[in-house]
Amino acid sequence: MNVLIIEDEKALADELEIFLTNYNYICEVCFDGTSGSEKIAVNLYDFILIDLGLPDYDGLDLLKEAKKSNPEAICIILTARAEVYDRIKGLDLGADDYLPKPFSLLELQSRMQAITRRRFGLNQSLVDLGGFLINLTERTITYYNTEVNTITKKEFDLIAYLILHKNRTLTRSQLSEHIWGSIINDDYDSNYIDAHIKNIRKKLNAHASPDWLETVRGLGYKIKINS
Amino acid sequence: MKLKTKLTLFNTISKLVIVTIFVLLLPSLIKNINQTYTDSKLRKQKDKLLRIVETQGIKSYIQAGESDASYYTPLKEDYVSLDVDSLPGNIDTIKNEKRILQGDTIEYRILSHNFKADNKKYLLEIAISVDAITETTRPLQNIAFLVLLGMILFTILADQLYSNYVLKPLSLIIRTKLVGHKFPNFGPFKEVKTTTSDFQHLDLSIHKMIETIESTFQKEREFISNASHELMTPISILQSKIENMFEQEDIVDEVKARLLEMQKILNRLKSITKTLLLISQIENEQFLKEDNISLSAMLQDVYDEISIRLQDKNISYEATLPTDWYLVSVNKFLLFNLFFNLINNAIKYNNPNGQIKIAAARENNTFTVSIIDTGIGINAEDIPYIFNRFKKFRQSLQQDSFGLGLPIVKSIAAFHHIRIEVKSEKGSGSAFKLIFPPGAIEIKA
Repeated sequence: MNVLIIEDEKALADELEIFLTNYNYICEVCFDGTSGSEKIAVNLYDFILIDLGLPDYDGLDLLKEAKKSNPEAICIILTARAEVYDRIKGLDLGADDYLPKPFSLLELQSRMQAITRRRFGLNQSLVDLGGFLINLTERTITYYNTEVNTITKKEFDLIAYLILHKNRTLTRSQLSEHIWGSIINDDYDSNYIDAHIKNIRKKLNAHASPDWLETVRGLGYKIKINS
Repeated sequence: MKLKTKLTLFNTISKLVIVTIFVLLLPSLIKNINQTYTDSKLRKQKDKLLRIVETQGIKSYIQAGESDASYYTPLKEDYVSLDVDSLPGNIDTIKNEKRILQGDTIEYRILSHNFKADNKKYLLEIAISVDAITETTRPLQNIAFLVLLGMILFTILADQLYSNYVLKPLSLIIRTKLVGHKFPNFGPFKEVKTTTSDFQHLDLSIHKMIETIESTFQKEREFISNASHELMTPISILQSKIENMFEQEDIVDEVKARLLEMQKILNRLKSITKTLLLISQIENEQFLKEDNISLSAMLQDVYDEISIRLQDKNISYEATLPTDWYLVSVNKFLLFNLFFNLINNAIKYNNPNGQIKIAAARENNTFTVSIIDTGIGINAEDIPYIFNRFKKFRQSLQQDSFGLGLPIVKSIAAFHHIRIEVKSEKGSGSAFKLIFPPGAIEIKA
């Protein structure tokens, strides 16, 4: 998959490139709107990540250009100005998603995957984990035809996020940002993730031991899938 | 008391005092005037008579051979008498005396004067009956009283009208500039029209003060908004760098644990920045109030998010809410955060195995929702400061918080015109009561 990153903060653009390359995307980076615009006009991309706060270009104009010359591309807006994405919502300029800065790279990747799945109707959403069949589209877990219906929405969100980033250790901060990120509150400790994981284990244990859900001591959690 | 009322009161009282004094003085005043007038009339008559006697002789009044003569009007209101005076000495007096005239005793104002004519001394008496004098006194008094009363009423009315007119700009300034304005939201400046320079000065000064306050607030809001926006990009870079380093395989777990610490601290910075940004956005009214949502559904959503925290501390949660209450024209995201933060606090400052109750009440058209906990409570002297930003109290220091939970609640509540009443008892718990403005909650079947 080809990704064009248009981001004037060089340090951030570099990290995006490293991260996405790691996830097997082929990345091109532009640090200003003009060169971004040129690339959009010449090449075809699967993903275009546009920072709205470019010094030389209105990000929304870039979005329009992208929609014109790369109609198949998935456009994701990155912005530090929170009020702007409300405007995008209102304008409906055709961005597939928007991420307010600061965002987690994992969040970016999971959004990219989710849009891909939606767009191409990929049916990769069934995951077999030690007998547990997890359906990411229907949001169900079954163990040999018995549905595990005690899992709550939040717990499923956690499992799904860990599956999406399988074989990687996700920290409590990353997990809590994913499931509580939209709530503005006074806490900065994310120990409630432990309580959720404990509950998930207890509920799954009623059927079989979920060995695939690993605690990485001192770091976080991971789901191991051998493929 | 209002200035206008005070002025009116003073005017009326001072005028009533004048009227009373005048009414009390009026009889003696009128009597005095009347007497002076009567006396001068008597003297004029005397002078006239003496001139006649001088030019025409006493004979024109007293027939030869007679010793006296008297003339009086048929009703005996006045008389003139001439008499031969046998007593020694000169008399020239005016006084009140009684005379018997043809059997009637009547009181007269009498001028007595003696003079010589034809080598004889005569005594002249010119008299006007006192009744005749007083007869005119009473109507005079009445007329004077009525005229005075009329004039006083007229001046009171005129004073009232004028003070109303002249003070109108002042009450306009008070009404439009000072009363009923939610600090710090003032409307645009509208000059109050007045020719009174004091009021012009007052109006302008208030306007300048409001402008100064407004611009200071505006600057503060802009600063917070800009600062938090500017912080977002560096935080984003740091976060990405830490995340990428964390995934690098050649980094040992010990270093990863330290990266995790960094991530935690960065999250704290992120939370503070996001919260400040949210508060400034609310204060800049950048949110819409277009959502209608069931109150019980919203609290169910909050419960779903927060139940893990209740469970963690084994706190019982009981929400008795009518299912037909709907929040009207609100911002769902903001109200969710308001309830989340209040309930989160109720958990945070609760004791293990404590209780939380959410209760709804309705009095006439006032809807209230209370969040009651059995937690550690708040010191009475701390209550006024709990909504201040970054304010932390001793009891909350052990909690993982940075003192922005209640400021968020306050901003969201103010944005929706919700009043918050806090009751708390140290050691036994707190109650936060949300009082919704009329129309914010409707009952729908």
